[in-house]
Amino acid sequence: MSPRRILAIAALAAVIALRIEPRLLQLPFMDRGPLMRGYALFADRLWPEYPRFLEGVRAHTRPGDKVTVVVPLMKWDEGYSYAYYRASYFLSGREVLPLVDAKDGLHRENFRAATYVAVWQAPFPAPRTALVWSGNGGVLLRR
Amino acid sequence: MAVLIAIISLTVLGIPIALALDRAARGPLLLGAAFLYGSGTIFLVLLVVPWTLPAVAIGALTVAIIAAIVAYRRRAHSSLITHHASLHLIDIATAVTLAGYACYATIAPLWEWDFWAIWGLKARVFFEHGGIDWQFLGRPWNAFTHPDYPLLLPLNFDFLALAGGGWNDRWLGILFVAFGVAVLLVARGLASRETTPLFAALLTFALASIATSRYIGLAEGALIAFGGVGVLFAREALLRDDPAAWRHAAVMLGFAANCKNEGLAMLVAVSVAVAVIRLRGVIRLWPAYALAAPWMLLRMTHDLATDIAEGSTLGRALHRLPYTPQIVAFLSEHLYEKGFWIALLAGLVIAPAAARAREHFILLFTGIQLAFYVGSYFITPHDVRWHVMTSWSRLTDQIAVPLAYVVFLMLADLIRRGEDARHAEARSEQ
Repeated sequence: MSPRRILAIAALAAVIALRIEPRLLQLPFMDRGPLMRGYALFADRLWPEYPRFLEGVRAHTRPGDKVTVVVPLMKWDEGYSYAYYRASYFLSGREVLPLVDAKDGLHRENFRAATYVAVWQAPFPAPRTALVWSGNGGVLLRR
Repeated sequence: MAVLIAIISLTVLGIPIALALDRAARGPLLLGAAFLYGSGTIFLVLLVVPWTLPAVAIGALTVAIIAAIVAYRRRAHSSLITHHASLHLIDIATAVTLAGYACYATIAPLWEWDFWAIWGLKARVFFEHGGIDWQFLGRPWNAFTHPDYPLLLPLNFDFLALAGGGWNDRWLGILFVAFGVAVLLVARGLASRETTPLFAALLTFALASIATSRYIGLAEGALIAFGGVGVLFAREALLRDDPAAWRHAAVMLGFAANCKNEGLAMLVAVSVAVAVIRLRGVIRLWPAYALAAPWMLLRMTHDLATDIAEGSTLGRALHRLPYTPQIVAFLSEHLYEKGFWIALLAGLVIAPAAARAREHFILLFTGIQLAFYVGSYFITPHDVRWHVMTSWSRLTDQIAVPLAYVVFLMLADLIRRGEDARHAEARSEQ
């Protein structure tokens, strides 16, 4: 056998071996419970309660409503981007307006434009607002 | 269960379409291609018809009937007709890998950030809106959803939601299993005509973890499928000048262009590579451009900007040009599955020159597409390091299937037949 054929066998074996995914081969036969719980919490590992609050907000608002969110971290990279994007997903159909942008600039005009303020685990002085619902760590206020 | 039924429906819808393009398609190739055509067609149907189940069903049925008539009239003279894809014991390992992937893809409601901030978000908004919500895409605050991204995947999610009677992100992962399986079926069908059942089965096993995207809920899975299969068909078309392979390639690449902007780049890369090898071949890719056109037009009409093209791209490129060695070093440092890529490169070097020459289409395509990817890091408005860290592994996944396929076949051929094997075949094809 020529050296090139031997090298070809080695390269082919390497391509195959390097594409073997031991975890995928094990998954069908292992207890997936812990993994399942881990992945179920993965998206909201920062604030596991937040999605439940958003579901409550969704139940108390209607499609087309303008909602803004107030959370404990009002800096974009420290948590507001997550809070805003996650709210956009759970409150689909409503228009979710951010109070902070990617450069941490404050957008008061969005607060003024919103009909509802969803406040989660944050102190919030709420003059001229009406409590619509409270639960799961937060309140929904109507302006 | 509803998701499974929806995926079977897509496959059934795709069968007459696959046969209309290639009357001789049979076995795994037919099944894999059928699912992909069903998935692509439902995207087109949802672009056109109202989003109610009866309207979508009538739209899909109309396409299926037209395709069946075309298939009936088309004669079976494809060069793909002769192959047989025998099962092999190694297929058990592939099946277990796929079962493992199915477990992973459906382990929880889809968790990836890009799913619920981009692909899934758009699908969910559109589902509630009952169609594409252009107002949502146009709002400046929703720029994070990348409104310019093509909609094949979100509209597939919407079809599953329509079929299931509501939005439920718990089982959407099954769609990604179907994309992966489709790639493997087509690759197996094509490989079976070039190599032995043992090597075809080994190749399928090696591709199993490449064809199944790690990013559940993102368009990578769809792009790997449509793009990878499209490139493999383009290779077949060039090697055998087979009209059916040209049609498959064109339609698959057209759908790839509707998965992601990189799919559009893929179509251009394939066109350039085809043009270099056989200029007239590019004309045969016209259906791909026809399929890419509607979204391009809609995107322009609705003024949906691409973030990467914001501001002065030339200025950014010129500014970063002196940092080329650093950027390339950073890309090399963050190459995912480095050992695998080194093994592929080693395989390329080991393969006889004649075998490499036979595969110059795939090598050219891979080089051009890589150049697009690397070029995007020079013009990105984002921090280059951040952009590389968040996208490089996905980009390299997108081009791995065709390259792995040809390197594997070259090595398998060398092992089976010795060093002059491709010399003989290359001579016979000229």
